[in-house]
Amino acid sequence: MLQTELSLEKLLFNLNTLAELGEEITSPKDFTRVVKSSLYMVMGSFSATKGVIFQFDQDRGVFAPIASKGLGDVGGAFIRLGKEAVAALTKHNKPIDLKKGDHPSEVLGQAAELLEKLDSRMLACLVVKDELLGFIAINGKFSGEDYSVYDCQLLSVMAQHISFSLHSHMLLMKLMHKYNENKGLYENLRRIYYDTIHAFAASIDAKDSYTRGHSHRVSAYSAVLAREMGWPNEDVEGIRIAGLLHDIGKIAVDKTIINKASPLTSYECRELNSHPVVGYEILSKIKFPWKGIPMMTRNHHEKVDGSGYPDRLKKSDIPLGARIMALVDAFDAMTTDRPYRPRLSFGEAMDEVKANFNKQFDPDVVQPFITVIRKEVRREVDNPTIVPLLQEQLDSVSLNRMLEGFPVA
Amino acid sequence: MVKKYRNFKEVGDAVVIYSDNYINDIEGEKLEDLCASYMERGFTSIVIDFSETDLVNSIGVSILIGIIEKVRDCKARIAFSGLKRVNYDIFSIVGLTKHIEIFDTEEDAVNGRVPQEMVTS
Repeated sequence: MLQTELSLEKLLFNLNTLAELGEEITSPKDFTRVVKSSLYMVMGSFSATKGVIFQFDQDRGVFAPIASKGLGDVGGAFIRLGKEAVAALTKHNKPIDLKKGDHPSEVLGQAAELLEKLDSRMLACLVVKDELLGFIAINGKFSGEDYSVYDCQLLSVMAQHISFSLHSHMLLMKLMHKYNENKGLYENLRRIYYDTIHAFAASIDAKDSYTRGHSHRVSAYSAVLAREMGWPNEDVEGIRIAGLLHDIGKIAVDKTIINKASPLTSYECRELNSHPVVGYEILSKIKFPWKGIPMMTRNHHEKVDGSGYPDRLKKSDIPLGARIMALVDAFDAMTTDRPYRPRLSFGEAMDEVKANFNKQFDPDVVQPFITVIRKEVRREVDNPTIVPLLQEQLDSVSLNRMLEGFPVA
Repeated sequence: MVKKYRNFKEVGDAVVIYSDNYINDIEGEKLEDLCASYMERGFTSIVIDFSETDLVNSIGVSILIGIIEKVRDCKARIAFSGLKRVNYDIFSIVGLTKHIEIFDTEEDAVNGRVPQEMVTS
């Protein structure tokens, strides 16, 4: 080949390599693969047999190898550079011939020894916006030829391409780091939030030794029933929280009234019955991420026939969540011991539900409640919620008998 | 004895490896793995035939140089054959043609004698 033809061919080959390098660094491939391919392109362009790309590891304050070829294992080849060396290398935008001792190779110090061990001949710094991100080191050419001025210019352009890739990747990593950090903070906040709500629920239940765990059961029962009724996850979570807090107004009620075994006086009754409104007033001041919690709390003692309290609302005026809670709240109250009476059996409790069907309890809620119980007794669900908390064994035959004659909605 | 497979042919202690249409990183690595496995099996002569190869890019060049180095480290012989003009030019640009035996056909490459300076280099 004539010298002019060779130069033209070389120019075309190098232009093609630069185009491929541009394509490579903007490809959606795995970063490790991109860096490896980029190094191979540099080495192929200069027929180098050994090469390595170092990246500045901000956490460890060292330059660590991220891709290499022809050098075996270079995993432990870290380079430490002082501030002055970093500043000198950052300013220098041309490849450095280490063999010729080009300026500023004198600032490399101990790093020069390591690069010599790696048989490095040319060093090209990877700099973006006055920040030294790393460098490429390659050895002498396989052909034995020296690096020309043209080679240095090409290496410089290739290093700039790789710098941008490295810079984008580092920005992405920083972003990911921040994202993970924020995600962690959010998770912590969420945990604290839930812990606080659970602590509130526990403090409510602690006022009455008989109602220990009541808020947790109302919460769990409400959630499973809402899910059965096809509520979206976000709303199920909302009613779960409302269940935990529905009796928060009892904090303002005298403990002796709550625990009184004998019939309540009219004053005591008014005091006790004030808890939904007090709860509403407490909770309406809190900005919950779920909708309807204060109203569910306020209306969980309403009855569909309009004889409940505090607002004497009728069926469609009562929020659906409050109708769900009205049923599971009463059901749990009936199936657990109280100061004034022992617990009812499941059958007795369901008789009460039947007797108050479409009076106290909403048929649209009772029917799915029965469906949940049936599914749990038949073991059609992975994690039964209500049946395991009842203090009796239920089977399909006895359940059918207990639910016989239940009005159809 | 000659054993011919789709991508390679074994001729005594020599093997002819047929490279694919385009030698980029993936194809290059396949070639590298194949050469390494033949050297492990004791083959002393590796011939890479480029008859079907339209283009070798810079990654391919880098991998081929790596293969040449490894073959020589094992004191084995490596030769190229069937190079198209464009690929010969690329090998010339990066200086490979001065350091590797290049033959027109795979038969010549398998039967070609290794120059003394190649063995000792």
